[in-house]
Amino acid sequence: MQIFPPNNGGERGKGYQTLGSPPEGFEQQPENGSKGVFSISSYTQYFNVDTDIVLNRLMSSLYPIGGDFFSKIDANPDLYGLIWISTTLVFMLAAFGNCATYLMEKHSDSTTSWSFDVSYINLAAGSVYGYAIVVPVAFYFLLQYLGSNASLVRFWCLWGYSLFVFVLASFLLLIPVEFLRWIVIILAGSASACFVALNLRSYIAENLSLMVVAAFFLQFALAIFIKVWFFP
Amino acid sequence: MSHSDTVPLHQSSQSDIDEIESLINASVQSGPATVLPARPPSPPRASIPVVSSSPFIQSNLPPPPPLPSPNQKVPSVPAPAPPPPPSIGASGFGPVPNTLTEPVWDTVKRDLSRIVSNLKLVVFPNPYREDPGKALRDWDLWGPFFFIVFLGLALSWSASVKKSEVFAVAFALLAAGAVILTLNVLLLGGHIIFFQSLSLLGYCLFPLDVGAVICMLKDNVMLKVIVVSVTLAWSSWAAYPFMSSAVNPRRKALALYPVFLMYVSVGFLIIAID
Repeated sequence: MQIFPPNNGGERGKGYQTLGSPPEGFEQQPENGSKGVFSISSYTQYFNVDTDIVLNRLMSSLYPIGGDFFSKIDANPDLYGLIWISTTLVFMLAAFGNCATYLMEKHSDSTTSWSFDVSYINLAAGSVYGYAIVVPVAFYFLLQYLGSNASLVRFWCLWGYSLFVFVLASFLLLIPVEFLRWIVIILAGSASACFVALNLRSYIAENLSLMVVAAFFLQFALAIFIKVWFFP
Repeated sequence: MSHSDTVPLHQSSQSDIDEIESLINASVQSGPATVLPARPPSPPRASIPVVSSSPFIQSNLPPPPPLPSPNQKVPSVPAPAPPPPPSIGASGFGPVPNTLTEPVWDTVKRDLSRIVSNLKLVVFPNPYREDPGKALRDWDLWGPFFFIVFLGLALSWSASVKKSEVFAVAFALLAAGAVILTLNVLLLGGHIIFFQSLSLLGYCLFPLDVGAVICMLKDNVMLKVIVVSVTLAWSSWAAYPFMSSAVNPRRKALALYPVFLMYVSVGFLIIAID
């Protein structure tokens, strides 16, 4: 009997099962799956976390001084945090940004009426996803070029969890008092930037303080951008 | 409007039609009634022999029509056992012509009844909800498509500016969201069937559709908040058993949170669009 289509042990599609071989979800390949770019099982290793692990990492992202994030995620870096924290942040910025703009205008001129600006969603998605994906890639390539070892997945994990502070801060940024908003965003921005910078410094073996400072300022710039564009 | 409803046919197509009608005649002898042909059948022609034991996987269909309809139940199919009598030349087609030549209304009615039955299984309380294998066995993608497009249209209608952008955002959010949520469960090591999950997430949008229609008709903020909260809770309740049973219990919250996030963002869009 011919098994159709012939299974050469090569690329397998999502959920596809051939006779006589175990289904995808049961085997956890320790090395990077040689099953190809389009197969789900070569990415499951980056999502091998439970709820309590994710909560633990979220809490530790709120402590900027710790500096031990990389040792926590070393054995098991996850991309779940990056994807869903950035998606949550996009939603928060779009939703609360609209609310905050309305509240601010109402504060100064009580005759304004609510209007929902859909372009906030596009802008939030573009900026947050762009930042969270591109900046770690840039640092990875720069560090590789400068000779230090770097792991892209761990960088993505770090920057992803660093955005969690902004998710929490966006609740506070609704308050339509300008001075308070600046206080909140400066605190949140510096906490997040310190988190990124200190962890980066403890991870890189060489003394590349320029990288660390650049990371700090980029994160802070993101905070200022969020304040200026979404919570004016 | 055309002034004549029949177009003169080519010679060969007329005989094809006659042949199909003759098969209908033959199957009418053993099965339920279909449309009777108006003219006598033409003489039999040579046919393509079809093996009666099919290599295809058995599905809900009776044995083996060669046409691809993997998940369709064909209620009007005749009794499967006897092949048509050998006096008719084409012996292999079996019950297939009924889906080819049935009236369009029959096809539409069949799909609509499937949508309604799936909706009843997923969104309303019933004894099968706790068993995801049974719940949406007969999944389809028409229902989710209608619900997503309808929600986009309702939101676009309610918007006063940038209507097309609102529709685009809503449609992209829901469609991409359903795919990403399914991938999320698969990446977390869960076991679901990709299209079954897409189908389920689409059907669970039905309460939000109802909410969007109510909000479209009545523009009071308080009412909108209440209606959207109720329908949001209903949608989440509908999606919960399926999603939570698909993954490892230690990762249940990781799989459910994105679903909740998507429905909350859609709910916010419904409230916020003015």
